Amino acid sequence: MDISVEFGKLKLANPVFTASGTCGYADELADFTNINHLGGFITKSITAKPRQGNDTPRVVETDSGMLNAIGLANIGLDSFVQEKLPIIAKLTVPVFVNVAGETIDDYVAVVQRLATEQAIAGFELNISCPNVAKGGLSFGTDPALVAEITTAVRQAAGEKVLMVKLSPCVTDISVIARAAVDAGADALSLINTFTAMVIDIETRKPVLANKTGGLSGPVIKPIAVYLVNKVYNEVTKERGIPILGLGGIRTASDAVEFIIAGATAVAVGTANFIEPGCATKIIEGIKKYCVRKEIKNIKELIGSLE
Amino acid sequence: MVEEITRPHKGIFDVVVFANKQIRGTFYRLGLEFSGDGAAAFAKAKAGQFAQIDLSGIALPPAEGIAEDLRDASERKILLRRPFSFCDVSGHRGKTKVEILYCALGPATLRMTTLSVGKSVSVIGPLGNGFQMPAGKKMVLLVSGGMGAGPLIHLAKTLTADCPDVEAIAFAGAKTKTELPFERPTDEISQQLGFSLHEFARFGVESQLATDDGSAGYEGLVTDCFSKWLVQRSLAAKDTIIYSCGPEKMLARMARIAEEKKIDCQISMERMMACGIGVCQSCAVKCKVNGSSEAIYKLCCKDGPVFDSREVVFKL
Repeated sequence: MDISVEFGKLKLANPVFTASGTCGYADELADFTNINHLGGFITKSITAKPRQGNDTPRVVETDSGMLNAIGLANIGLDSFVQEKLPIIAKLTVPVFVNVAGETIDDYVAVVQRLATEQAIAGFELNISCPNVAKGGLSFGTDPALVAEITTAVRQAAGEKVLMVKLSPCVTDISVIARAAVDAGADALSLINTFTAMVIDIETRKPVLANKTGGLSGPVIKPIAVYLVNKVYNEVTKERGIPILGLGGIRTASDAVEFIIAGATAVAVGTANFIEPGCATKIIEGIKKYCVRKEIKNIKELIGSLE
Repeated sequence: MVEEITRPHKGIFDVVVFANKQIRGTFYRLGLEFSGDGAAAFAKAKAGQFAQIDLSGIALPPAEGIAEDLRDASERKILLRRPFSFCDVSGHRGKTKVEILYCALGPATLRMTTLSVGKSVSVIGPLGNGFQMPAGKKMVLLVSGGMGAGPLIHLAKTLTADCPDVEAIAFAGAKTKTELPFERPTDEISQQLGFSLHEFARFGVESQLATDDGSAGYEGLVTDCFSKWLVQRSLAAKDTIIYSCGPEKMLARMARIAEEKKIDCQISMERMMACGIGVCQSCAVKCKVNGSSEAIYKLCCKDGPVFDSREVVFKL
């Protein structure tokens, strides 16, 4: 039984990634799991300059989910290159660097600097972060801007795989998906979090210092499955573009749902906070599912929704 | 010895509940028994470190067992683990027993009260950095507010074992006597200042109580009680260290007192956390950068939860 997948020009040992922002830059989960067992690893967002992030509270729990408003806190490109790249270079798993910025030039600067690094397999373009004043989601909701930024980054990315991460906070996600693919995206990842709010009824103020945050966790999974299926049917299937499906995955059955919906690979996000290393369990669970259903090659399962 | 080296210093472990006792009011003490790798990892747990406990699969107590004002909010499902510090860690025959002092006041801690002896629960830890004991200190002052007493009880024990020559005194405060997280009634303590709390006395540490309403011990803030005591004693600042845990406002006052008196002070901070292991970046604590007016965010879970009081920019 073969659970390896082709993701753009990459051959992945299995279809399970960890999602950006839930596993640090490289080795932070080393105490809990062997990252090399994953199909792929995506770093926390990197911006050209370091970012301190938002004031606290940055996180609040809600029924079957959580809101975060970290604000892209990260060490910045230079420190990433100096401190984290050497660690990433030792990993055997394909590593995607998640890239964010306030302007198109910011994105291009990060991608250009990293495009020649052997250690990096590709980029995930974060145009869907709901927690920053500039950039982020403001790019991801306008198809013209999506096309512009994807074109610019595509050029800077050279031979590396370029994946664009989509927001669900749009009227028609397929319009955005098409804009990214037409502009040269090799893959799409969806979905990022939903903009949401939790109110403290004692103070009548939002709980998060940023007022709003991105909703993630099991609560968003059925919507994510639906959107993956929609984009698969309306955009990526005929173009042969792989989808990285994510949103609330915590079990192997969750992962299989996304694959049936049309995802070539999946990413585990919020669940890493509760069970670091659960991706490994999910990989084992997918294998068991394939054995039980007599699926010899997981490719048979991709987009197999009846 | 070889085995010691190869065993993980932290991890995710299934552990067994050996006790879960209501000590009074909303205060409980949970006992967890670790074996195998977990026992080895937690045997080295330091006072001030913490563990992330998964309470999502635990049932709520019956509605009549939940205070009326908590019933509505407690019905919320929980997803994330909850961080708890330790009030005692002890090892015996390859097992490690970890005790946690907690207050049942929300959907997770109310669920925690129904954990019965023999049940298994998933724990990640030990996490973060505990209290550090610099060399040359002769006097240790432990100052807690409310639930902050937990890790300081653990620290009192550690000090007795590791630094027998050091004198330690504890100050414990709360809004009112029913909010003091100690087992024995405090009525008699209110009669005479300086009466020892059993939790500290068993380690030879004297204690003083303060309540905002004067229902037990000193009438007023524990920081005021502590300040007044400090004025009466002429301590050599360089020989003295303060360890403090409690609400952030209280820790800010402790930081001010420590700065005025030039006494070293370590404080244990609290933040809303998702992962507890340094990846989610939720639990940011604003910290001063030495020799500059700049501030940076450190992570409560990884860089703390214990910080030097001079370093923290408090949220007030």
